[in-house]
Amino acid sequence: MKQKRSLFLVLALVALIGAIWSFMILNTARRGANQTLDQRVQDVASQLKCPICQGESVADSPSQLAQEMRGVIRQQLQSGRSEQQVVQYFVDRYGQQIVWSPPWQGFTLLAWLVPIALLLGGAVLLFIVLRDWYTAPRVGTNDDDADLAGIDEAQLQRYRAQIEEELAGSDPIFAPRRMEAN
Amino acid sequence: MYFSDVGSIALILALGFAVYTVVVAVLGATRGIAPLVTSAKRSALTVTFFLLVAASALIISFLIHDFGVSYVQQESNLAMPWYFTLSAFYGGQEGSLLYWALMLSIFSAVFIFTSKRAPQALLPYVMATLMSVEVFFLIMLAIVSNPFVRLPVAPPDGRGLNPLLMDPGMLVHPPMLLMGYMSFSLPFAFAVAALITGKLNSDWLRSIRRWMLVAWSIQTTGLLLGAWWAYHVLGWGGYWGWDPVENAALLPWLTATAFLHSTMVQERRGMLKVWNLGLVIASFALSIFGTFEVRSGIISSVHSFAYSAVGPYFLTFLAIIVVFSIVLFLYRLPRLRPEQEFDSVISREGAFLFNNLLLVGVAFATFWGTIFPILSEAVRRQTMTVGPPFYNHVNGPLFVLLVLAMGVGPLLAWRRTSSRALWRNLLVPAIAAAACAIILPLAGISNVWANIAFAACSFTAGAIIYEFWRGMRVRHSHGESYFLAFNMLLARYRRRYGGYLVHLGLVLLAVGVIGSNFFQVERDAVLKPGQSLNVAGYQLTFLGNIAYTTPGMDAVNSQLQIWQDGRLLRYIYPGRQFYQNFDNQPTSQISITTFGLTDVYVFLADWQGATSATIRVFINPLTPLVWLGGLLMLAGGIICWWPERRRLRIPVKETYAEGAALANKGNGDHSVGVEVGPSGEGTLVVARVGDWSEENKNIVSKAPLSHRQDTGATEEPTA
Repeated sequence: MKQKRSLFLVLALVALIGAIWSFMILNTARRGANQTLDQRVQDVASQLKCPICQGESVADSPSQLAQEMRGVIRQQLQSGRSEQQVVQYFVDRYGQQIVWSPPWQGFTLLAWLVPIALLLGGAVLLFIVLRDWYTAPRVGTNDDDADLAGIDEAQLQRYRAQIEEELAGSDPIFAPRRMEAN
Repeated sequence: MYFSDVGSIALILALGFAVYTVVVAVLGATRGIAPLVTSAKRSALTVTFFLLVAASALIISFLIHDFGVSYVQQESNLAMPWYFTLSAFYGGQEGSLLYWALMLSIFSAVFIFTSKRAPQALLPYVMATLMSVEVFFLIMLAIVSNPFVRLPVAPPDGRGLNPLLMDPGMLVHPPMLLMGYMSFSLPFAFAVAALITGKLNSDWLRSIRRWMLVAWSIQTTGLLLGAWWAYHVLGWGGYWGWDPVENAALLPWLTATAFLHSTMVQERRGMLKVWNLGLVIASFALSIFGTFEVRSGIISSVHSFAYSAVGPYFLTFLAIIVVFSIVLFLYRLPRLRPEQEFDSVISREGAFLFNNLLLVGVAFATFWGTIFPILSEAVRRQTMTVGPPFYNHVNGPLFVLLVLAMGVGPLLAWRRTSSRALWRNLLVPAIAAAACAIILPLAGISNVWANIAFAACSFTAGAIIYEFWRGMRVRHSHGESYFLAFNMLLARYRRRYGGYLVHLGLVLLAVGVIGSNFFQVERDAVLKPGQSLNVAGYQLTFLGNIAYTTPGMDAVNSQLQIWQDGRLLRYIYPGRQFYQNFDNQPTSQISITTFGLTDVYVFLADWQGATSATIRVFINPLTPLVWLGGLLMLAGGIICWWPERRRLRIPVKETYAEGAALANKGNGDHSVGVEVGPSGEGTLVVARVGDWSEENKNIVSKAPLSHRQDTGATEEPTA
């Protein structure tokens, strides 16, 4: 019964966390673009690479050019343009390499898809390997049993019990009951 | 005769001895001639000696300002203080390579001195591999990139060190990182030796694990120092920008971390041999790739300071390593079969596999993002950029999963976990996560992604602290005070609880990263004296600029006050410095003040005369936790690595006797043994008589037999 209780408690907690998160997601979606102008400038600027720096974004770079570009972004956002439009404005002038993240189209889609595909492939492979390992031990156990065939079953039982007991003595995980008595 | 000539000669001699070591070690091992192996050992030590001579020659050339040496002229000048003159040793490429070679030879010497405990059959091959790597670096040093090349005429003064490197962080960061890259050669050498001899037993595992922990700790230090340096020098308010060079340093760290976890599966269950060897080899190949990337200049980065012709050589070396390893692998594959089978997915093995998938996934995504611009350029002639938004999108969720796995993993037992125990163990961390998820929105933090990440962190922190608590309670019930119990846990089960400390450190670091990622506030303004800038509750009042000159450097500092709630907290002086010979490359003196867990980061972007300054202010919440967490990770790593002075004898008593009797009954072809791991955790082994210590192939059953000291273990000092 106790086992059931912790199971239900954990499930209830997971449900609670899930509820909070979905509520928050809905809430953010409803409020939408409730950001300040500063945050929006920062958002756009951090998507753009500073053209004269080495590996710094327009948001991060202390250079004069980046400072001016932040000014341009601010002006354009104030005049009512959307974030995408401002980014596009810079892409038109500096080329695609000014954007930090590769666009979701054409050849550069590979930049995104290959890692994701490999990760999924790895997960599937892991699953298959685990399943193989899971079904295979029958063979292995049979081998072991053949090796131990000459041994008195009662003695073997006692020996196993002893191992379990020592394990339980050392590792709290193996000895749930005793822990609760404490 | 100059000191630099001594250096040149020492390099050539070192090269000669290194080649000799490789040949003799392999001959000695294949023909079974012991004196040859001894000769190889001595010759490897001679290589160390000559590299020390070469390094000293370079240091002396720097200290006596021998500008006739091209490298000294390039990297130092008379105005530099002695410590920067010393650090100029690794300020350029030639010196970095010499440093790499020197450290490799020193590590080889340490390996030889401690080799009594290493598996003897592997020893010659480990030496041969190390010295082959050394030969590559010595050839580079002697031919392509010699630090001792002399100029026809010695100029009166040198050019001086790159001003970005004139920073205290520079004194320690590059040598640590280079040493980190280098230190992956030792596990690699063990992997090669094991592949050649086919011996992957528990001795081998112990040796390689310890060396990998060394490499991991050094690389962790290097990464942290790099982040610290970037935070204090570059002036963009952050410490990690997914810059190609940073990525290159992270890659071997990720694969090494994966190895340190999956190796436990091999240790306990004899599985995953191929995978583990692959990870070791990948770590080394990635560290060579890292060195190549920094040095070749194929990718532009804030961290690379030298471009040169060594790129192709490194690429060739990398190709040789990869091809050689793959050939060895295919040759040995039949002997790398797993010894045991999987019991259940819900087990610690399962958790480790999942952790490996995530770590390797992060490593691959990072690698892919780093090289994708090159691919794009080559395939489509299309220049493009892959920057922080890409990595944050791809790696961010993976890191959250990784943090969660860190919490769940330790709750699972080896082989299989009863669902009852699992649910009960999950309860405490789940409560911690739920509490975090509820409290944050109430405290006004409405970002859902931050909430998810923080909840994952508190889940894992809860799980780890609960683990500590349970261990302490068990010991406390035997009459130890809680404080003593805590210390004893760390002392007795170094690997387990040291590992938990590393995890806890990583969780702290993650909290810091989440804080500075989601809640950084940035503002810039042009200020006249008396004007103020308000950022996130802090008020910065500008007073004026101060200019001054020291030999070799001009500097400007602004004077500002930080106010909060009408209270003056502190005066700060952010500034810029112009070094002689590098006028177009001003460096910044960034003012970082920590109030509680929040950094106020002030950068002087521009100024006009004494009365106007453009300042950028970043409020970085929780960033100090990054450094705290990093230190905790290091401490945990060192605890895991720290050797046990005493070895415990397992309380065998009847169990052992009975097991032996049992084994004897079984036609007398079983033997029972007890392996004691370095942390005092034992493994009861029942094996068929034969070469059971040679290869664990014949092991019939193997059960972890960890024990407590209070079960009556007798202690005896190791001989």
